[in-house]
Amino acid sequence: MRLTKKGKQTAALLGFVFPALAFYAAFMLAPAFGGAAYSLTNWNGLNPAYGWVGFANYAEALTDDPAFLRSLAFTAKFVAFMVVLQNAIAIVLAVFVEAMGRSKAWFRTIFFMPNMLSMIIGGFMWLFIFTKVSSYLVEKAGMAFLDRSWIGDPSYSFYAIVIVSLWGGVGYLMVIYIAALQGVPRSLKEAAAIDGAGAWQTFRRITLPMIYPALTIGVFLTLNSSFKAFDAVYALTGGGPGRATQVVALNIFEEAFGFTNRYGYASAKAMILFLIIFLITIVQLRFMKTREVEA
Amino acid sequence: MSRRYGLAGRAGAALIFASLVVAAAFTLFPIYMGVLNSLKTEGEMLTDILAFPSKLQFGNFADAFEKTDYLRSLGNTVVVAAVGLTGIILFAAMAGYKMSRTPGKLSGFLFGLFVLSMLIPFHSIMITLVRISKDLAVQGSTVGLGFIYIGLGVSMAIFLYHGFVKSIPRELDEAAVVDGCGELRLFFVVVFPLLLPVTATIAILNLLWMWNDFLLPLLMLTDSKDYTLLLSTNMLFGEYNNDWAAILASLVLAMLPVIVLYLLLQKYILNGIADGAIKS
Repeated sequence: MRLTKKGKQTAALLGFVFPALAFYAAFMLAPAFGGAAYSLTNWNGLNPAYGWVGFANYAEALTDDPAFLRSLAFTAKFVAFMVVLQNAIAIVLAVFVEAMGRSKAWFRTIFFMPNMLSMIIGGFMWLFIFTKVSSYLVEKAGMAFLDRSWIGDPSYSFYAIVIVSLWGGVGYLMVIYIAALQGVPRSLKEAAAIDGAGAWQTFRRITLPMIYPALTIGVFLTLNSSFKAFDAVYALTGGGPGRATQVVALNIFEEAFGFTNRYGYASAKAMILFLIIFLITIVQLRFMKTREVEA
Repeated sequence: MSRRYGLAGRAGAALIFASLVVAAAFTLFPIYMGVLNSLKTEGEMLTDILAFPSKLQFGNFADAFEKTDYLRSLGNTVVVAAVGLTGIILFAAMAGYKMSRTPGKLSGFLFGLFVLSMLIPFHSIMITLVRISKDLAVQGSTVGLGFIYIGLGVSMAIFLYHGFVKSIPRELDEAAVVDGCGELRLFFVVVFPLLLPVTATIAILNLLWMWNDFLLPLLMLTDSKDYTLLLSTNMLFGEYNNDWAAILASLVLAMLPVIVLYLLLQKYILNGIADGAIKS
């Protein structure tokens, strides 16, 4: 009797899980394991025959592919800027917006709005700003500081990409930080004020430690999304001029679906990207989680 | 003493308000410029990019509407999102609920299997995904693209459902079983309606993701008659590289559905975003 009940339970479990598992296995698990396997081959997408090459793809990507290494370095720099700026700006906006009275809802709505849009749309719109509007402002309004080749010169287009990514991403984190701020007990802040703490001290000593768990989430989300950045760069510079602003995701995309069609090699690059994101986020979560306990 | 504090407080508040206004202006600037210039002729745009159009004209919109095959693109996007969303919610709710309710190793293993992939970036699977999609004949169709989204989206949804089900008292299921309610009926009639809060969060997060996703449709939809809004907009951008009047109009048209949805449902969207992020 007990056995049949257990058997029934298992059957019901499998029945309920099956539809999700079928789609998941076909479009997520199979490609994930397949990608890992293909990264060890010289499969090129056109030729049906391919063979195992061991870790040769990995070795080539890490030692003999300057464009890939440059895209890694470019992405790392981009990630560093994003992690710091996106979280700092989002926290400041959250604190400021929370300090407002009736205008709070308005600001929240406006700051989050870019997150509703695809970065392809946002990127094209900013391209218009960076090319047409900025040159107009330089000529007609004398705003000389805008007189740069925002898209054509890689040292400026890096900042163009950062600006557009911040524009598109800050609101999302702001919403998370606002939710965290609302969880800080008013009594704590009042107690600090009675003890003579100023606004900055209260923020530094009370608010910031209390929202530390949200900071863990914010940094995690920024790391994850910035390492995978694609849309904004695709729309703004397409990785150019040349490959000067190519992020890793774009490099992989080009390797696989551009001219060479080296699927196996591109899979190895994709695995490297996965391992980097995996390791860094694990370290980040470990590190920040332990600090959370202390705070 | 107290007066000085009040004065400093008021000056501080004014400063904060002013900086928020500047930030808001910066946020809205590209959207405003896009809308403004989409209403001008190319000539007007060249003479004064900041000025209001001398007279409203919607020629650019008619142009963009036709070149992006707007209604068809919009329809395609709706099909993709509807197929994906229905599958994700239905299948993930079933799986998440049952795994949450069933103790044991198998259940734990299956849950672990679903959660496992949440860290894998899309770029690590996309190459093989293209090949598998060709083999399974889902490449090149909007419904097929919806199917792929189901496979990619169920993980996170299962994770959220799995957690939420724990907050629903078990006695409820048991009472229904005693009443002679079958497993499936129990789920659809009793449990599923109770999941509504988390279903709303999942629906919002996934809808936004699918609606705004660019790379997967780019890889999967090969025929321009299947293009989603983003693909059509991207195509128009490629073909009319410097015709900003038409491009901006097409961007505004592509934004329109999302902005309208946002202004109507913003309370739910903002709550859903905060909820989803904190729980996962």
